[in-house]
Amino acid sequence: MLNEASKLYFAGIDIGSTMSKAVIVDAAGVMKAYVVGPTGAEHRRRANKVMEDVMQKACITLDEVAYIISTGYGRVNVPFADKQVTELTCHAKGVSALFPDVRTAIDIGGQDAKVLKIKNGRLTDFLTNDKCAAGTGRFLEVAAETLGLELNEMGRISLQTDTPVKINSLCTIFAQQEIIARLSEGQALPDILAGVYIAVTTRVVKLARQLKVEPPVVFTGGVAKNVGMVKAMQTVLAIPILVPEEPLITGALGAAILARDRAFQLVQDGTLQLKKKELSEAYIDFVEKNR
Amino acid sequence: MAIATKKGLALAKEVYEDRGRRVRELRKAGKKIVGYICLYPPVEIITALGMVPFRVFGDMSEPITAADQVSTTVVCPFLRSIIDLGLKGKFNFLDGIVGAHTCDIGMTLIISWRDYVKDAPFTHLIDVPHTDRAPAVDYFQGQINSFKRHLEEFAEEKLTDDKLQKACEIHNKQRKLVRELYDLRKPDPPLLTSMENLEVLVSLFSLPAEEGNQLLEDVIKEVKERSNKIGKKKARLLVWGPVFDNTSLYDLIESADANVVVDDTCVGTRAFWADVKPPFDLHALAQRYLVDIKCPRTYRETEHHETTRDYDKDLDSRFNYIKKAITDWHVNGAILQSVKYCDTHGYEVPNLRHYLDTLGIPSIYIEHDYSERSLAPIKTRVEAFVETLG
Repeated sequence: MLNEASKLYFAGIDIGSTMSKAVIVDAAGVMKAYVVGPTGAEHRRRANKVMEDVMQKACITLDEVAYIISTGYGRVNVPFADKQVTELTCHAKGVSALFPDVRTAIDIGGQDAKVLKIKNGRLTDFLTNDKCAAGTGRFLEVAAETLGLELNEMGRISLQTDTPVKINSLCTIFAQQEIIARLSEGQALPDILAGVYIAVTTRVVKLARQLKVEPPVVFTGGVAKNVGMVKAMQTVLAIPILVPEEPLITGALGAAILARDRAFQLVQDGTLQLKKKELSEAYIDFVEKNR
Repeated sequence: MAIATKKGLALAKEVYEDRGRRVRELRKAGKKIVGYICLYPPVEIITALGMVPFRVFGDMSEPITAADQVSTTVVCPFLRSIIDLGLKGKFNFLDGIVGAHTCDIGMTLIISWRDYVKDAPFTHLIDVPHTDRAPAVDYFQGQINSFKRHLEEFAEEKLTDDKLQKACEIHNKQRKLVRELYDLRKPDPPLLTSMENLEVLVSLFSLPAEEGNQLLEDVIKEVKERSNKIGKKKARLLVWGPVFDNTSLYDLIESADANVVVDDTCVGTRAFWADVKPPFDLHALAQRYLVDIKCPRTYRETEHHETTRDYDKDLDSRFNYIKKAITDWHVNGAILQSVKYCDTHGYEVPNLRHYLDTLGIPSIYIEHDYSERSLAPIKTRVEAFVETLG
């Protein structure tokens, strides 16, 4: 199955609680294509779909993909993956590929938040939120629903102010009540929205401070796409925050790079054969680095 | 007598799955069964007076529904589970219940049991001081003496030196055998899984000591003779924390690329590492239980009344037994776990993690609410932790 000589590419599939992502990299670990789509209820079908889409985008076929790693909440539901790796390890790898010096990565997804400590491209320590969805994308969705706004719109409006209101409750449901109370008091919408972002950020930064925040700090996950959140994160941490161009795909990118490393490891161990010229150059490079 | 048809690991599994079965039989035959909570009631006294000590555990698969009548929800879910099971009549085979003031909730549990469960005619609380200083040991000896007198009354029998001596020997033998059992996990791969190990230990807390000793001898022989099917894995882990009486967490950890090879928990090594030292009298018991059991419920310091403290020296004196386990069992990572609201263990975590850092042992801290369903979200974190190793 794995011993075919023509395979050149490596894939990472990240099935998150809300969004599914897929990335293809070549033998040098360079990204060729990525796709992002909603996860929905049927993980398996979604996994097939993102894989098909990303191959189409990269103009390759499945037999050109040498190794596939799945990650994320739904990683067990990717039947065609060769290996599963947790999203924590994959995010660390993906973020380091984009920002080699990164020391702290903060990832906020649809239903979870995680803080990663990274050194020399390796995950050294991490924390995740337990159980509760406060401090995640869900919190922002609830706020948006309450106010009848689109998520992106909400971010833009929040930028209009530097005087956020205080949202004291960190519980999603209580915070929703608090937003309504602030509205009825006649507080300005931008102030309330900026307050919402500060509340989410505070929750996550509390987690991050347990591990000591060291720069450079990279902010990823779907929530990092929101300009209001990025501003709040800079404000609360009081240091510059780096955000990748596409903050959703760092997990899938890391999975794809790990797939490449893993395949090369198997080549080194003699269980996998890959012959193409460009591949062997990258492979020699890999062996050198690992020495 | 179905219990006699199986032996070794098969028997341990059977007892683990229905802990009350053997003691219910023994009770029918006229034996008194004395339940106890936590590690601090001296089981030697119960055994010496011809009764069967039965360590009371909770049940992670049973939702807590009755305990709200007698406790708040923001306390130790393990102890809440125990009182919940008590209120539901699941411990109606106990003739007595003995608690110890190891922590505040542990003490109030005995009050609730006495006033609301009511099944057992005998209830007793042993006060346990919170330091290991000499006057505290003397006081604790007095507490053991008053427990002894109360239980003598209930047993209608006197505790002679001879009986106590014999009971100490039986329980010390059990401790020695458990240490031999742990030796089976020193090789790589280990000869015994942590799930099997826990099934044996939970059985020991559910059987008369001599039957437990027989079980241990059989298990050790069986494991040495069988062909080892356990795979070599990336991680050899130590698990630390309060009571863990359910195989599900070990199962979860070992489903990652890890073998749990040793622990510091009160169902594991903490319960069996220290012997009662001769001469076998109440002072020896006080010394063993208060000083030699290493549980964070007892305040310890390197030098009593020292004003200039050496932090590293202090950490080492508190935790060097863990360092020894790490060396002897070739541990390369530690999982610190606790139940929610366990202040006793929660406050120990920063110091212990710092100590492990100085030893170069990576660690992770996880909290659960003592229910099987609460373990699922922990799975990813345990897997990620194992991925970071080596």
